Amino acid sequence: MINIGVFKFASCDGCQLSFFEIVEEILKIGDINISFFLEAQSKNRFDEFDISFVEGSISTPEDIELIKKIREKSKKVVTIGACATSGGIQSIRNYLNYKEILEYVYPSPEYINSLEKSHPSSDFIEVDYELRGCPINKKHLLEVINSFLLNKTPNLPRYPVCLECKIKGNPCVLVLGKPCLGSITVAGCGSICPSYNRGCYGCFGPIEKPNIEHLQEIFKEKGFKGDMFEDILTSFNAYNRTYREQYEKES
Amino acid sequence: MKKRVDILTRVEGEGKIIINEKDGKIESVVLNIFEPPRFIEGILVGRKYDVIPDITARICGICPVAYQMSGVQAIESAFGIDVSREVEKLRKLYYYGEWIQSHSIHVFFLHLPDFYGKSSIFEIAKERAEILKDALRIKSVGGKIVEIIGGRVVHPVSVKAGGFTRYPEKEELKSLIPLIEESIELAKKYTEEFSKLNFPEDNIIGNLQFVSLYGDDEYAILNGRIVSDRGLDIDKDEFKEVFKEFQVGSSTAKKCRIYGKNVYIVGAMSRFNNNYEKLSDEALRLSKKINLSPPVKNSFKSILVRMVEIVHSMEKAIEIIKTYEKPEVETEFKTKRSEGTGVSEAPRGVLWHKYSFDEYGIILSADIVPPTSQNQDIMEINTYNFIKFMTEKEKILTFAERVVRNYDPCISCATHLISLD
Ligand code: SF4
Ligand code: SF4
Ligand code: SF4
Repeated sequence: MINIGVFKFASCDGCQLSFFEIVEEILKIGDINISFFLEAQSKNRFDEFDISFVEGSISTPEDIELIKKIREKSKKVVTIGACATSGGIQSIRNYLNYKEILEYVYPSPEYINSLEKSHPSSDFIEVDYELRGCPINKKHLLEVINSFLLNKTPNLPRYPVCLECKIKGNPCVLVLGKPCLGSITVAGCGSICPSYNRGCYGCFGPIEKPNIEHLQEIFKEKGFKGDMFEDILTSFNAYNRTYREQYEKES
Repeated sequence: MKKRVDILTRVEGEGKIIINEKDGKIESVVLNIFEPPRFIEGILVGRKYDVIPDITARICGICPVAYQMSGVQAIESAFGIDVSREVEKLRKLYYYGEWIQSHSIHVFFLHLPDFYGKSSIFEIAKERAEILKDALRIKSVGGKIVEIIGGRVVHPVSVKAGGFTRYPEKEELKSLIPLIEESIELAKKYTEEFSKLNFPEDNIIGNLQFVSLYGDDEYAILNGRIVSDRGLDIDKDEFKEVFKEFQVGSSTAKKCRIYGKNVYIVGAMSRFNNNYEKLSDEALRLSKKINLSPPVKNSFKSILVRMVEIVHSMEKAIEIIKTYEKPEVETEFKTKRSEGTGVSEAPRGVLWHKYSFDEYGIILSADIVPPTSQNQDIMEINTYNFIKFMTEKEKILTFAERVVRNYDPCISCATHLISLD
């Protein structure tokens, strides 16, 4: 019997919902006990977990305490989605003036209990596996659970979205004149956006060594307006390490 | 003064109910729906109009389509973009998909365990495995509709001002009809079964107004006038003049009332009470059969209303698919300095957006009013009235949570009440 916990920090709940999509598969596997999952059940137990799935970015001082506690009590910690893995859409603020935004958005900012930055879990604890995507692909969730049962490392894509386009036989929308981040974005979604006639906007986050400069040049050649780096930051993985380092290097 | 704090479970997002007691008597109920803020409105300002569907969708994983629809209509009304009838039909289909998906999650996964006295649907399934299987089947209808039109169920990618980035082929949609037909029967069966559940006596306060959208010829979903059962009837542009937010005591929470005075409720019960006679044939027959008619004032019965809306959405979906023609023309438009509002019926009720733009389409201000923040007031009042004479601790906490859950609150959404000008 393996014990699973599902936890939420600052997020939209979209990644947790994947658990409702894989219920049948989980039941088939059997031997799985979900002991903590506030959205799904009213009786919850916080003791020891084989796998803890974490959704959402770390955004308050209490969040930091809780994520550390989760780490202590769990054999494996797996982040689910862009919020937990890369800070999420809300981490765009990390590059802006926090005080200004806070005062701009809230009339009485003194009541707001929030960290200046929106952090991925990995800023505070060691994370075993990170699931990408805003939202994640439910297949990856099953892959993690199955791998735990088989005592192997989960097989998660590391190649870019472009490869999924090739496999699907999609015409390249970049060639057709639309900005596409597919060449620097990690696969896993099944290249949804190019299949729907639009460029990838990077919701699965960067591949390991993204060639940002190269893509930037292509964008320039094609006459796309806007700053390439701004475009990446506009996206849903703003505080991913790779982009963070690049940004700090540039500024 | 004693405080009892109950962490809400089986709701979307995270929140607490705080019950204040004095001399053994319950004095007040406060719903604390303050998740860590995500500053979504703040992030929008300074960006181009076309990020609105992608970014606002991320406010809520359970109703992204609603955010996209209210948002895109605000853009269209700002730039004066006409949307073709075919596009409008496809948007309705897309939206029915979300109603089906979101309602089935709430009804089966979040709400139903209350009536069985169980912790979760998984516990119910230990005794009745078929409920879980059927729930997933009913839910999958909604999921498949959204997926075909938008590429995926959570945060679909194809919405843009004027239409969609890709239009499905008629055949893709038609292939869903057998599944939908079969699911209508299933949903009807469960609605009848649930109508025999044990519903506690509950009568939402007398002078409450039921607020929803209203269209002349249909059970409004995508657009319409904003009406109440007490004669309110306004255009989306007038929303802020009528629905006034005010600060409560010393807390940060803001409440919203009609002219700052009258308590109101949005969501499935309001829609049902205001649009009942416009339900689809099957849904109307079903309501009559289970003796569900307006005004529904027992919040526990919202589970039945949601089931009726599932049947309605499925029947409407088939109707749209049968007459669907793939739109061919791209809508052209120019950005201009302007402002626009958009409103639609999210699964949890009226969802209103307003933006202003500069001549290049850059967002200058963003204001989003989600349904759950509008319902916060009535949720607290209803909960207080329901538990005020109770004395047993366990019972108080159980029922406080149950009443709140009747409203299907979405706390991820409500965190974004704060407006930005
Ligand atoms: S990663 Fe995206 S889908 Fe997942 S919780 Fe965050 S905002 Fe929602
Ligand atoms: S469309 Fe985008 S993801 Fe697909 S091949 Fe072209 S650049 Fe790569
Ligand atoms: S194509 Fe890019 S933006 Fe679109 S779903 Fe896939 S990773 Fe996300």
